[in-house]
Amino acid sequence: MPGALSGFRIIECGEMVSAAYASKLMADMGAEVIKIESPHGGDAARQRGPFPGGEPHAEKSGLYLFLNTNKRGITLDLEQPQSQEVFQRLVKDADLLIHNVHPKHMPTLGLDYDHLAAMNPGLVMTSITPFGLRGPHTEYEASDLTLWNAGGLCFLNGGGPGTDHLPPLKAFGQQSGFTAGVHAAVASLGALFARLRGGMGQHVEFSVQECLMGISEFGTMMAAYAGMAVTRLGHKPIQPLDLLECKDGWIFICCVEEHHWHSFVDLMDNPEWAAEPIFEDRLKRGESWDALKLLIQDWVKDFTVQDLYLKAQARRIPFAPVSTMGYLLNSEHLNARGFFVQLDHPEAGSLTYPGAPHICSETPWELRRPAPCLGQHNTEVYTELGMTAQDLATLQRAGTV
Amino acid sequence: MSQPPLDGIRVVDFCWAWAGPYGTLQMAHLGADVIRIESAKRLCPSRLIPPWPDNESGVNRAGYFNQYNQGKRSLTLDLKAPEAIDIAKTLVSKSDIVMNNFASGVMEKLGVGYDVLRRIKSDIIMVSLPGYGTSGPEKDFVSYGPPQVAQSGLSALTGYVGGPPMMAGFSYGDPNGGIHATFAVMAALLHREKTGQGQYIDLSQWEAAIMLLPEAVMDYSMNGTQPERMGNRDPHMAPHGVFRSKGDDRWVSLSVRDEAEWQRLCEVMGQPELSSDARFASLAARKENEAALEEIVTAWTQACTADEATQALQNAGIPAYPSLDAIDMIDNPHVGARDYFVELEHPEVGTRRHMGIPWTMSRTPCEIRRPAPCLGQDTDAVLTDIVGLSQDEIAALRERDVLT
Repeated sequence: MPGALSGFRIIECGEMVSAAYASKLMADMGAEVIKIESPHGGDAARQRGPFPGGEPHAEKSGLYLFLNTNKRGITLDLEQPQSQEVFQRLVKDADLLIHNVHPKHMPTLGLDYDHLAAMNPGLVMTSITPFGLRGPHTEYEASDLTLWNAGGLCFLNGGGPGTDHLPPLKAFGQQSGFTAGVHAAVASLGALFARLRGGMGQHVEFSVQECLMGISEFGTMMAAYAGMAVTRLGHKPIQPLDLLECKDGWIFICCVEEHHWHSFVDLMDNPEWAAEPIFEDRLKRGESWDALKLLIQDWVKDFTVQDLYLKAQARRIPFAPVSTMGYLLNSEHLNARGFFVQLDHPEAGSLTYPGAPHICSETPWELRRPAPCLGQHNTEVYTELGMTAQDLATLQRAGTV
Repeated sequence: MSQPPLDGIRVVDFCWAWAGPYGTLQMAHLGADVIRIESAKRLCPSRLIPPWPDNESGVNRAGYFNQYNQGKRSLTLDLKAPEAIDIAKTLVSKSDIVMNNFASGVMEKLGVGYDVLRRIKSDIIMVSLPGYGTSGPEKDFVSYGPPQVAQSGLSALTGYVGGPPMMAGFSYGDPNGGIHATFAVMAALLHREKTGQGQYIDLSQWEAAIMLLPEAVMDYSMNGTQPERMGNRDPHMAPHGVFRSKGDDRWVSLSVRDEAEWQRLCEVMGQPELSSDARFASLAARKENEAALEEIVTAWTQACTADEATQALQNAGIPAYPSLDAIDMIDNPHVGARDYFVELEHPEVGTRRHMGIPWTMSRTPCEIRRPAPCLGQDTDAVLTDIVGLSQDEIAALRERDVLT
């Protein structure tokens, strides 16, 4: 069965996460993605790991292997002027060109929408940039960490009251890149839909900073509606909504609605303290959390995580385990849904990958092929472009490919 | 051509709280007619929580609802009434997409499951995004956005060095589940446009959150281990952190990506001699002596404001940015110059700044066409123009309390 996006041809110039994740999502849905990497080492994600046994190897980076499933990979040094003719031939038949090249380097790499659209008016080009393509900070350098701060997310996270000696805390990994990538994929498919309905191609300009601000939950609304900021040092308004320690690990205690709390009190065998007026409703429990936390922690400590999790869920209280990777990969539920997938790679071997978070009734996603080795599809792709073995050899000698 | 991409596409939005509404917000951004089905008898939690202007509560005054429901319409229906279900079905028959984030099985119990709706509209695209998905042994478990942060594994990986697991600081599972669902819907919409075929999409918020952690999943897959909590540090860059700057709880973030940037940082800090200090002469050395390194950086950042530090570092080509809070964001000169914020007149909260759309399109501009709807604001218009009811029929339904 063909995928939902089969027939779409996508060119990706991606380093690390954002553009690569966007085009991976599309590739897993059936799109034909060609990833362009520099012949001098390729995508930086190849150096990030994790690696088997901790030994760095450009073909065995877990981050790269995950982000580039179902793609074909070619090398092309876009910094060399002679590569532009080849690049334009690639783009000429593409539906989407998606990249996360910094705006400063776009002109030298040939990422000029007007020029490319003159050859291919149907082209959609999505530029994922840290701060967009206009405005005073456009040329700012950025990392995943600085963007998480620029989007106001880092400032929200930390240890609560009394921890002002500790800095705002980022979430693990490359969250700016992943969040930007999936949003940019949505915008790109929107532009492809417009084209399918008789429109032309267009340039989609995407700002990671704005995307992250947009998920900051209370974010700017606290300033716009209440003239104040939320900080990691404040009390949470509603409780219990916190991490507590069981005898074999951590659990997230979660009583969003009053009926969750009543069920939880019942689960605890209705201790006397639970009837105290200071714990009367979720807002009061927020104010009294320091005291309440100690009482609940004392009760929680004798349970295993699984036992308490299952007991709470049996009463429809939304507790959740603080999952370890081992817990996830062995989860009966996730495995029954087929979430994890075994995939063989010529260098990295057979490994378990996260698959896709959705099951589509008519157009299944599929891991058809592992991430490409550096330049693995050069001959195949360049031959499709009409180049001869001799042409390719010439480019290889010049270090262009 | 100046219509937005999803002009003419209609979404029946049964969503609730944040995850689903965040997803349908993106469809509204793309120009779809998103109709939220609401009821005064069971209000969306986002209408009930602060912030409210002047701290005066009201179902139409909540910043949370008004932020994440911009550009949508609101139809009030009491879905417990059979007539309301008939109306919902008629609406679906004239729509393209149905989205809900109820717990698994709720839509079926209401009589608007996919098997029913596909008979009404054969090419409907329906997406459900419960926490656990709609299949598997734990499909009936209940979830919200915050537990997903713990359950996905993100909490166990996030935290200060040597400290306990931490949350993300916001309900990350919600927008993440919503946006991944919207991605699947967009793909299904392209497929339908080419083939005429609709479909059902079962999205698990839990799985969508695990997609964010491949480094940890792959580490376990390769080595049977997972990364230690490392605060703001990075295994491949140092210094890499959020450092105290001048002022009350003000901070600046910075990342030094390579040796050249390290040399330039030493210059910027006015300590060029550090670049030849053996303790910091390579990435490995800086990782080895990271605590001492962070003290040196802090001594410099503390002496300037976050803006001054950012400016100095950016002038040297080093990634840096102040750690913005809500007030900083709303006053940020860069996003301000880009017109990111949207200020539309709302009947109950007046003109307030809301976060806008993070992309621009050169040919089919996306814009927020109206503020978030007041509860039931569009009931009459939707029932008249789309469902095709007469004024008398609407009045009779209202009389029977079906439209609240």
